[in-house]
Amino acid sequence: MSTLLTYVAISDGKIKRSSLEVLSHCKSIADAGGMACEAVIIDENATSYTDDVQKYGASKIYTVEGDAFKQHQNGSLLKALTKVNEVAQPSLIAFASTEGTKDVLGALAAQLKAGVVADVSSFNFDGTKVTAQRPMMAAKIMGNVNVTGNPVLVSVRSGSYDLKENPATAEVVSVDVTVESGDLRATLREIISATGDTIDLNEAEAIVAAGRGVKDEEAKALISELASVLNAGIGASRALTESGVYDPSLQIGQTGKVVSPQLYIAVGISGAIQHTAGMANSKVIVAINKDADAPIFEIADYGIVGDLYKILPTFIEEIKKIKN
Amino acid sequence: MKFIVSIKMVPDVYAPFQIKDGELLMDGDRTVLNAYDASAVEEALVLTEKHGGDVEVVCIGSAKASETIRKALAMGAAKGYHIQTNGDETYDSSSYAQILASFLSDKEYDILSFGKQSQDTDSGLTGGMVAQLLNLPYATNAVGLEIEDNKLVVKRQGDSGQEMIELPTPCLVTCSNDMNEPRIPNLKGIMASKRKPVESLSVSDLGVDATALEAVSKVTSYEPVPARAAGKKFEGEPEEIAREVAQLLDTEANVL
Repeated sequence: MSTLLTYVAISDGKIKRSSLEVLSHCKSIADAGGMACEAVIIDENATSYTDDVQKYGASKIYTVEGDAFKQHQNGSLLKALTKVNEVAQPSLIAFASTEGTKDVLGALAAQLKAGVVADVSSFNFDGTKVTAQRPMMAAKIMGNVNVTGNPVLVSVRSGSYDLKENPATAEVVSVDVTVESGDLRATLREIISATGDTIDLNEAEAIVAAGRGVKDEEAKALISELASVLNAGIGASRALTESGVYDPSLQIGQTGKVVSPQLYIAVGISGAIQHTAGMANSKVIVAINKDADAPIFEIADYGIVGDLYKILPTFIEEIKKIKN
Repeated sequence: MKFIVSIKMVPDVYAPFQIKDGELLMDGDRTVLNAYDASAVEEALVLTEKHGGDVEVVCIGSAKASETIRKALAMGAAKGYHIQTNGDETYDSSSYAQILASFLSDKEYDILSFGKQSQDTDSGLTGGMVAQLLNLPYATNAVGLEIEDNKLVVKRQGDSGQEMIELPTPCLVTCSNDMNEPRIPNLKGIMASKRKPVESLSVSDLGVDATALEAVSKVTSYEPVPARAAGKKFEGEPEEIAREVAQLLDTEANVL
């Protein structure tokens, strides 16, 4: 029987929601095709997440634990995934397309001599072949892709699938992986976490994104207030991360993060293709811009033409009222 | 430090295109140096200008890719390698990685640098594959590079922050275009590029098994991305329209 194995990523002590989206989808494929749906967790405390992961239908969960997996390092992750592949012998390994995944996917494919397709927006698997759709040419075109291999590796854009609970009682299998300095070679000196305890954009249900129109502290304060009222993550266009107004990790677009939240509010963003490539799949898009001809209005569900300094205070007050 | 930067000729993603019967029709003359690779070339030039060393580039592509190589030479790279293809091969990331790994296996270098992905396919796989095939330490998605005591220090954009990673040489790095603004070649650079050496070789020269290059990942057809219809546009008294949209987000869109 073919097995679909989903890599469930943990970041800052939390399961990445996007991994569970992928697991939910793999469970549907497995059920439809009479295949097994399994998961792997690689983290210093991997076992503590198994209860949450089995809710999404994994019948077996491989755990790899140890200090070496406290922080993301490609050498240790590669070694662990290679070992788990050996033990689980899956036909397909599915990943959420996080920065951590992007860091190991190519190397893992070379190591396992696997077929691979990255950053898909949908996929299916018949036991031997993956058929997938992925955005190409700055997300202006959709490519239909066929991939074979044993296994096939697939990474999936966040927001491509809905979470679907499917409780199962999973068998937990602990896999021993010892990481030695020779496996790492690279030294992780430190992680500069400028974003503090802000919300991870790939996981956020709502995002407030700032563009060139956000010029001063007053505008930044309005962005922060709107985000806090909505419990939203804050993102920014490339113009604002390059000029240092916002931290580079907040950049949304072809170069930065690709996001698809339920609600995306673009403030002072003109909507160049480099930016929209990273957010056009959001469920509901609101744009606030004083230029009535800004391209962002072509994709916005709700376009507000006006000065953000005049729009935002009332907008925030009204949302507060509704939320109460 | 000796850099070899892998560069790619890509179609200009801003050029007009058509999709007919699942095929992508574009003006084949409109090609550019992949923007991420241009950043990799730029950073290699900046670091060798500061610390000494030189920069070479390698490009797999049809005869037309010689223009892409000239562009990198005009920016300041010292030498180019052109691995010629017919242009009609159906290579995937793994095919490119195997060709490059084979080419690089007898080359001397301290740092191999790649763009983190190519602008046309956005797969971002080849760099990591080459690192694995050559068994090199590597880092991806670099937003800053420094050289300290013969080590490459990479600032990498990770999921929840920037990771500072120290790599011994030889090593491999893939670059984001956030680290710099690639220089526009000046006339002197363009003139000089014409005298710089470009070594041309073929895939068969490298002794790569052609069957191993057979793509396992194949694009079978293209289709337009379903256009997202523009919704409602609100103009007028700022406070009124702000209130109205907030109400609609609650009652109509149901997202509050």
